Amino acid sequence: MTSIGTGYDLSNSVFSPDGRNFQVEYAMKAVENGGTAIGIRCKDGVVFAMEKLVVSKLVKPGANKKISTVDKNIGIVCSGLMPDGRHFVSRARDEAASWRGLYKAPIPTSALANRMGSYVQAYTLYSSVRPFGLTSILGGWDSEAELPVDGQVGSGPKVGAGGKKEGQKRGGPFLYMIEPSGLYWGYYGAATGKGRQSAKSELEKLNLSEGDITLEQGVKEAARIIYVAHEDSKDKDFELEMSWVSSLDGPTKGRHEEVPKALREEAEALAKKVIEGEDDDDEEAEGGATGDQMEE
Amino acid sequence: MFRNNYDNDSVTFSPQGRIFQVEYAGEAVKQGSVVVGIVSKTHAVLAALKRNAEELSSYQKKVIPIDTHYGVALAGLASDARVLSNFMRQESLRERLTYGRPMNLSEIANRIGERAQINTQQYGRRPYGVGLLISGVDRNGPHLFEFQPSGMVNEMLATSIGARSQMARTYLEKNLDQFADATKEELIKHALSALKDSLSQDKELTVDNTSVGVVGGGDLFKLYEGQEVSPMLASAFGEGEGEESMEVDT
Repeated sequence: MTSIGTGYDLSNSVFSPDGRNFQVEYAMKAVENGGTAIGIRCKDGVVFAMEKLVVSKLVKPGANKKISTVDKNIGIVCSGLMPDGRHFVSRARDEAASWRGLYKAPIPTSALANRMGSYVQAYTLYSSVRPFGLTSILGGWDSEAELPVDGQVGSGPKVGAGGKKEGQKRGGPFLYMIEPSGLYWGYYGAATGKGRQSAKSELEKLNLSEGDITLEQGVKEAARIIYVAHEDSKDKDFELEMSWVSSLDGPTKGRHEEVPKALREEAEALAKKVIEGEDDDDEEAEGGATGDQMEE
Repeated sequence: MFRNNYDNDSVTFSPQGRIFQVEYAGEAVKQGSVVVGIVSKTHAVLAALKRNAEELSSYQKKVIPIDTHYGVALAGLASDARVLSNFMRQESLRERLTYGRPMNLSEIANRIGERAQINTQQYGRRPYGVGLLISGVDRNGPHLFEFQPSGMVNEMLATSIGARSQMARTYLEKNLDQFADATKEELIKHALSALKDSLSQDKELTVDNTSVGVVGGGDLFKLYEGQEVSPMLASAFGEGEGEESMEVDT
């Protein structure tokens, strides 16, 4: 841990004697100060939620959206340095557009995660750039509709590479989280930012891997989890931003959209109620201090 | 002290995850003289305090008209603002040429944000040492964006950047709920009052050191300077001060 002053932490892409890249680890520190962001993979879609701290009354309420749409069916929420986030999303849009140009079909979420993972990793290779101060949660709905291999242009090979099995479904909801190192995994529920630890433990309670949570339930859980994660920085006000993407016959018709205001407010009201209930419990069981300092 | 190791360039993170070169660029903004921006439901106003190097010199430009529907106010390195405002002019003209429509303010704000971000991630570059308030009216209504050297862009209801700007922001926060429904004249008055709160003791607003940019209500962006601001100063601070500033000029 005593990286400071050893000289191995002053430049990106330099290995320390025990094989670490300290600049990447410092970039992760930038993420730890950002607002909490989460993503939940439900059985019929994906939900994103972001805790947006209100830094000043002068900021326009409801403006300055932090969840972005990449392709029509894919969303990204970032935590960390916001300008890096905009750069990242801009690159993701370029990737999605070039995929469309080449294959005449929207980019699968897994392919986008792979490309963006590679892009972030490239910023750990050279001393002439710095890593992204950013962890991003990327998710979407890949269409289950049967398409010819090369989309509208013609049909592809029937067997071998590029060949397709009859009736096999490839689409569905997908969720990925990409770290400053370029490392990424698929997730059932992902959390990053300042309140990630409490958010993670709440996500674990949901048993998302069993795949029985609906999108509407997901929205309500997401709102609640952001409110729970906010408990540690209670003194600051925040705005809840939420978006979702469902299947073609779901509420968003396969598109990534902002959660409708009415539903968001319903979810927020529920979340507040739950938090107030928990507060009462806390007062009874005081002294059970949580080991919050265990990170690092 | 040990901070010095991590502040040589903008491609080095400190152990706390900060980028000092970007933070220092933010300090350059605080050296610039104060500018204020406010929007109502119909209008957008920029007000700026201009500085002169010495008694005999002219005053440094603070408000730059970009297109017919918007302009920017700057605090910090004027030459960096010139680079960015030239870029904004180009992009605005391109939008008009290719799509036949005025540029959306959110779009132009985000584009310079992305440009500035590049300067914080690649070696051999430095962050822009200027903060901007981008304000005007597009087809979605009046807007005000604050741009920082980090590439951070935020849409605001009202804000102020530059030296002693905290005083102006305190004024703006106090009067925030009056802005939405304010008339053009009221909005200018508020902007000048906020500006005045940021002045150091020995200074006051005159026709020489004040510039005001106004757009909205169907009118194009107009920059008011010199004698044109004297009625604004008069109505904001009463006849006394207005006359005084006229005397200075004659």
